[in-house]
Amino acid sequence: MRHLRIFFRVIIETGIGVKRSGWSNWLVVSILAIALTIFGGILQVTMTMKNVVTAWGSQLEVSAYLKDGYQPKRVAREISQIPEVQLVEIVTKDVAWDEMKSTFKVASLANPLPNTLHIRASNPDAVEAVAAKVKLLSAVENIRYPLKVARKINEFRHFIEIAGFAITAALSAATLTVIGNTIHLLIESRQREIEILSLMGVSPFYIKGPFVLQGAAYGAGSAAVAIMVLAVMHMYLDPYITEQLVSLAPFLTNNLEYGMWQTFGVMLGLGVLVGAGGSAWTSGRYIKI
Amino acid sequence: MIRLQNVTKDYGGRPALVNVNLHIALGEFAFLVGPSGAGKSTLMRLLYREETPTSGSVFVGGVNLNRLHKRQVPLLRRRLGTIFQDYKLLPRQTVFNNVAYILRALGVDEKEVAKRVQSALSVVSLEHKADAYPDELSGGEQQRVGIARAIVNGPPVLLADEPTGNLDPATSLEIVQLLERIAERGTTVFISTHDTNIVNALRRRVIYLKGGEIVSDVDSGVYELEPNLNV
Repeated sequence: MRHLRIFFRVIIETGIGVKRSGWSNWLVVSILAIALTIFGGILQVTMTMKNVVTAWGSQLEVSAYLKDGYQPKRVAREISQIPEVQLVEIVTKDVAWDEMKSTFKVASLANPLPNTLHIRASNPDAVEAVAAKVKLLSAVENIRYPLKVARKINEFRHFIEIAGFAITAALSAATLTVIGNTIHLLIESRQREIEILSLMGVSPFYIKGPFVLQGAAYGAGSAAVAIMVLAVMHMYLDPYITEQLVSLAPFLTNNLEYGMWQTFGVMLGLGVLVGAGGSAWTSGRYIKI
Repeated sequence: MIRLQNVTKDYGGRPALVNVNLHIALGEFAFLVGPSGAGKSTLMRLLYREETPTSGSVFVGGVNLNRLHKRQVPLLRRRLGTIFQDYKLLPRQTVFNNVAYILRALGVDEKEVAKRVQSALSVVSLEHKADAYPDELSGGEQQRVGIARAIVNGPPVLLADEPTGNLDPATSLEIVQLLERIAERGTTVFISTHDTNIVNALRRRVIYLKGGEIVSDVDSGVYELEPNLNV
């Protein structure tokens, strides 16, 4: 109960601190909200792009041509045991031959086509590995897959991931700096008060806690503003973006919403974490008890 | 209650205290006197662990402060009531809140806080100023708030570092008489001062510090500019 009362008092002290900070609250929240909006926007774009590229990459197929005398169903079952394999489609030599005959005028001769399996990997990264494993099977005569395309797609996906990480790191550092400087100013303006509290025997938790919570509140407040801005942008831009992307790649229709709630969650988490972390670091550095 | 053993404190080769030995018993009332720069404030700062000695040991309530971990310093300070020359009140808090602050920080419930603050304010006769802010009070009143804050948690030791330094003679006497009344209730009171009037008016134990050394320690003493060496 005593600890609960202390925590409650720390929250009250945080409220007093926020109230005392006056206009600088708005300044900090505005700057952080801008940083978080940019961060959220970029995160959303990178996540969507990654999703598009992944969906695009997942259309890549490995075609395996079987030797005569092997049952396509049995081989397909064997291949579907490979962990990275998502789907195996069988095209028997008879079906392929009928299709060919219906498309082209073919002289009546014995069917020269092999039984074929079309294999899809669970993600573009796995295409090469699946191809290598399938090639090793004794039933497989030959394989064919778009190696260069798969590699380019994977390189692009990795680039997006690295770019997203770099932008997150840069914006987190900027956010940390803004919060750290603000809390530093607050600490400087209350240095005498802090000295008095320390001499009275007030615990470091009670002295530093309100600054840390204030930083966390700035982070949460800024994230809330940034989320609202992005949500409004989503509302107005979504139909247009969906139309453009679907015209580019029709298989994307169900994937476009991916990333919005995750982005908002990350923004809120990052805001609070960076806010509290920046304040904790600044308090530790500048409050000497 | 307070014990210093062969304590020396120097700042970059400049000695502030030299081989000081001192013992103040529980419930005792003592003055630490001496001219400016004699080392009075340094000695006080050692007692509330704002400083640590260069050599020697400092004990308060049986605790060796040299061995006190940084995390334990707040616990020590809660057992000491400390009064300062510049009062050190929180300017944006009322008298009541200044006195209540430490109790709230310790998680004492509000009913108990109110009871203890009222009691402390009544000891210093400032119940009627509970809602005032420090800048609305005279110097003497501000120091009485400082005393109320120092005693509100019932500490066994009260340290006062030049408590009358900013006050006129009449108010100064009122303040030390108030501290004397508090000492009568069993609290150890240790006051550093260079105010001859208050020391001579009370005739209590007087420890004379000069150039960082104790040159005189007399029960029922007076503060003379050149004391008889009577340690």
